[in-house]
Parts: sequence; C-alpha cells; structure tokens
Amino acid sequence: MDKKQENLNKRDELVNKLANNIVDSATDIVKTEHAQKDINIIKEDIVDKLRFETSILLNEVVTKISPSKTIAEITKKTERSFERFGKNFRAQHMLMFVSVIILIITGMPLKFPEYNLSKFIIITLLGGLENSTLIHRIGAVGLIIVGVWHLVYTVFSRFGRRDFILMIPKPQDIKDFFHTLLYFFGKKSSGPKFGRFSFIEKFDYWAVYWGMVIMIGSGLIMWFKELFPKVIFDIGREAHSDEGLLATLAIIVWHFYNVHFNPEVFPMSWVWWHGNLTESEMKHHHALEYAEIIKKESEKIIETEKLKSASEIE
Amino acid sequence: MIRKNQILLIVFVLLFSFSSAVALEKCLICHSKTDISKTEETGRIVSLYVDTTIIGKSVHFNKECTDCHNDINEIPHKNVKKVNCRRCHYSGNPVGAPEGVLYDQYEHSVHGMEVLRGNEKAPVCQDCHGNHDIFSHTSPESKFYWQNIPETCGQCHLEIYTIYKESVHGTASAAGNIDSPVCSSCHGEHNIKKHDDSDSKVSTFHISETCSECHGEKGVVNKYGVKTDRTATYERSFHGIAQKMENKLVANCASCHDYHDIRAENDPKSSVYPDNIPVTCGKEGCHPGATAQFAKGQIHVDPKNEESGIIYYTAKFFVILTVSTLCGLFLFILLDLFRRAKNARQKR
Repeated sequence: MDKKQENLNKRDELVNKLANNIVDSATDIVKTEHAQKDINIIKEDIVDKLRFETSILLNEVVTKISPSKTIAEITKKTERSFERFGKNFRAQHMLMFVSVIILIITGMPLKFPEYNLSKFIIITLLGGLENSTLIHRIGAVGLIIVGVWHLVYTVFSRFGRRDFILMIPKPQDIKDFFHTLLYFFGKKSSGPKFGRFSFIEKFDYWAVYWGMVIMIGSGLIMWFKELFPKVIFDIGREAHSDEGLLATLAIIVWHFYNVHFNPEVFPMSWVWWHGNLTESEMKHHHALEYAEIIKKESEKIIETEKLKSASEIE
Repeated sequence: MIRKNQILLIVFVLLFSFSSAVALEKCLICHSKTDISKTEETGRIVSLYVDTTIIGKSVHFNKECTDCHNDINEIPHKNVKKVNCRRCHYSGNPVGAPEGVLYDQYEHSVHGMEVLRGNEKAPVCQDCHGNHDIFSHTSPESKFYWQNIPETCGQCHLEIYTIYKESVHGTASAAGNIDSPVCSSCHGEHNIKKHDDSDSKVSTFHISETCSECHGEKGVVNKYGVKTDRTATYERSFHGIAQKMENKLVANCASCHDYHDIRAENDPKSSVYPDNIPVTCGKEGCHPGATAQFAKGQIHVDPKNEESGIIYYTAKFFVILTVSTLCGLFLFILLDLFRRAKNARQKR
C-alpha cells in the first residue's frame, strides 16, 4: 500500500517537473520573439496540451515499468534523443579511425626505430619492413578515401553543407574561448552556451583537416618519390614524420580525453556508434542549438494550430 | 763410386741423428748457396736459399732452423712439410711465443675454414706473415706493416688490390697517411669473414658500424675536412631505419659509395659524383625510375643542422607547433578537470 502511494507521489512530482520545464522553455522562446498577446494565448494552450499528454504518457510508462525502478531511471528512458551524427558521417569516422590506427601502428616504429618495441612490432608482429610498409599503404588508401569522401559529402550532402558552414570559425568562438577560461578560473559561474559546434569541436575539425592535408600530401610524395627531387622528398619525410607524431599525440591526449577519459563519458562516449545525444546532453553542451530546435518545433506547432483554427473558423 | 757415396751419406746421417741440437751453421752448408733450389710437382722452381741477415733481423732471430722445421732429421730431406706455427703459438706454450684470441680467430675465419676444407689456395700464417722474413708489424719491411698490407692481400686478391690502389683510401695510404684504411681496417685481420656472413665486419648489418669507426661522430676524418655526421644521418634516413628493421635489400654505405672503388665526391669517377648519382640510385632493385631530378638535394641530410636549409626550418616549425599545441591542450584539460572537481565539491 505504502509503495503504491509512494509511486503515485513520485509520478505527480515528475509530471510537475516536466510541465515546468516545458513552460520554461516555451517562455524562453516567446521572450526572444518579442512576445505578442496572441502567441501568449496559444502558448498557454500548448502548455495545457503538453501537460495533459505527458501525464498520460507517464502514466502508461510508470504503470508498465516495475515499481522497483527509480524515477530517474524512468525519465532517462523516456528522455528524447537528438541525432548528432548521421549514418554517413559515422561511417566516415569509422573508416578514418581504422585507417589511422593501422597507420600509427605501422608508422610510429619507423619514427622510433631504436626501441625494441618498434623492432618487435615491425619484425616479429608484422613479419618485416616489406609487410609493414604494404600495410601502411593500405591504411593510407583508407585515409585518402575518407578525405575524398568527406569532400564529396561536404559539397553534395545537405547535412554536409550545413555542418561545414557551421564549422567556419567566427569571432564568437574567440569570445567563447575567453569565456571558458574565465569560467575555469572561477570568474564566471557557468561556461558559454554553444551552438551545434563549440570552438573546441571546431578546433578538432580543422586540426584533422590540416593533418589530412599534410599527411596525405607528404605521404604521396614519399610514395612516388622517383617523380620528385630529393629535397622535396626530404621536406615531405620530415613533415610526415613530425605531423604524424603531433597527430598521434593530439589523438591520445586531446581526443581520448574528450571521448574516453573525461569523467562525464568515461570509459567511452558511444555517440560514434549510435550518433545520438540525450536531451540533457543537448541542453548542457549545445544549448543554443537545442533552443533553436525547440523553437523550430514550436513554430511548427503554432503554424499547425493557426491552420487548424483558421479551418475551424471557415 | 756410387757405393762409396752411399756409405758416406749413411755415416753423415748417423752423425746427424746422434747430435742433439742442429746448429744453424750446419744447415747453411747447403742453404747459404744462392742457387740452391727444388722443383715442385707442379713444375714450380722454389729457391731454398736462406738469407741469414733476414732471419737475424726477424722476430725469430734466436730460433734454430729445426725449431720450426722440426720434421727434418735426414739429409737429403724427404717429405718436408710446411711449418706449423701452432707448434709454438698456442695458449700456455712454454717458450713464451705470443698467443691469444687472434690465433683462435683464424680458424673460424674464411681463410682458416677454407684451409680446413682442404683448399690448397687458401692462405696459412706464412702466406701473410712471411717465412723467414717475419718482422714486427711496426717495421716497414714487414709484410704486415700497415702500408704493406694491401700488397700482401693483393698476392691473392689482385683484382681488388688494383681497384683499391686507385680509390681515395688507397691513394691516401700509399701517400703515407696512416689514418687511411688498408684492407684489414675494414675486413679485420685474423677474423676475416665472408662478406655475406652475418658476423663479418663488412656484412650488410655491420658495415655502417665499421665505416663509422672513422666516418662517425668521433671519426678521424674530421681532420681532413670530411664530415663526421655520415653514419648518424644514414641511421636516421629511411635506408638506415630499414636496415635496423633487418631489411637486407636496403642500401648500406657500400651500395652507394661502392665497395673498394670508394672515391671522393668531387672525383668524376666516383659513384657519388653529382652526375653519377642518378645511375647509382637507379640501380636494378633500388630506384629504377630515378632521374637527374630525383638526385637534386643533399643525400646525407640532418634536419637538426641549419645547413639543411628548408628541411631544418620544417623540422623547427613542427617542433614549435607540436610543443605549443600539446602544452595548450594539456593546460586546457587540467583546467577543465579542476573546474569539474570544484563543481563536484560545490554540489556536495
């Protein structure tokens, strides 16, 4: 008996919480749009509707799921998800990391040939330099395919074009960077609000862009060395070797921190696999993008409401 | 008449065999004659003349003939064998003859192995060290005085000797430069191995080490204005790295600079003379497509040396880029972690 009562209380609590959330976000949107009385009225309608629908939904969920589950777990399951990376983009990333891992394993030992581990990898594990250089070239072909694929995706895919434009650095990114620093030093109570791509993600993207250009360019020079003067080969080799190390370190230090060792995602963020962010993740990391999505959706609802009321009048 | 002679001979031999030590003088009764000789089965006429002045100057000046020619106990001598130096030169010998690891090394060398295999052309001690004319290696008369070594080896390796004589090393050593290598400097002395034996000093995996004795960092060639970073730069080149990874196909010092015909880079006959580089690089199995264009640029490049020009600046640029980027990223991560920790504390 006590348990049932407790669950009901929890449900009510949750309904109120969600309703409040929706009201808050709706008022946010309306504020930014310079509230009009009409919209205010419609807003109230929406709030009512949402409150009603969520309560029905929650009722269903709570009754279906065993009462031993905590409310937090239930909310997590019912939480909305937002697609961050499409299938195409995820496939690009997968081919890329497979290629890069192959390239690092077969490339790094040649940068550090004096270590026994390098000799072990090349001689014992891969059966000699002729094998390892062949495998390195296979990885290289993989990386070149990713490069070309991404360029085609950027030009011909709607999402590719949209994301590329959003990736272009803006003055706001510098402001965000300093805002973050101030936040780190406790001068600001919260970090900056980001759109689809934060300055960190933009840095990552362009770092990879730079790395791809250097590595593929210098790699091709070395592959077809007979076509170039030795001095060009030497520059290519130096750049390939040094940029290879920089890229490897950046991946291990920076990328692995962001997607593996960061306390928020440890041991690994699965976004590379399913491509989705939860609503709370969206709110936290891409607040501006989230607000925009919600705004667009509510505009759509308003639009349909308007159409509905118009047809009713008719 | 014949009988008389025979009796005399028997008496002579008996007298000989009873005497405990045979003095040098007795041998010289015959061997001091300059025209004394024997004819070998092959038809070769070998002089048997013994020049006492030479023996007197040699390291064996105080030895009796029979100390070495110990199988001689009758006159005329029958079945005289080649002298075996190991009769005295073995470890723990009582007469104080020099002995040591060198004498054992010979048996494992290519020459020693060939002798054991029954190759009659293979050299034994005497072929290099001489017979009666064994002088100290510091004496210019010695067959193995440093300047005479090429000639001594050239007795058998004539073709290589003529090539070596014209090389930069050969001309320098002939001119009396003791820093210039002779055969044994690279190939070793008693431990000479076949060039394809992995233990050889001139084998694929050891040759750069051998060359580095002079052309390496502390090499003697610095005196003569020859760069000493050659082996270090080779080791850092793709060829050097591939060699470390036990690849046998890759170029070593000799692949480009040639084996015995090593010449200065400004010698038009040199394999590394600028005009000849495309041919040298374009060898079958190396870079068959190599053109004159391919050869443009320094070969032994050191990215840490300012002389390398644009390569030096490329390396510098990447050092700065890598260090600054990683420092920045590390700092950012640390600040992020500190802020997270602070947030967690505030929540509690």
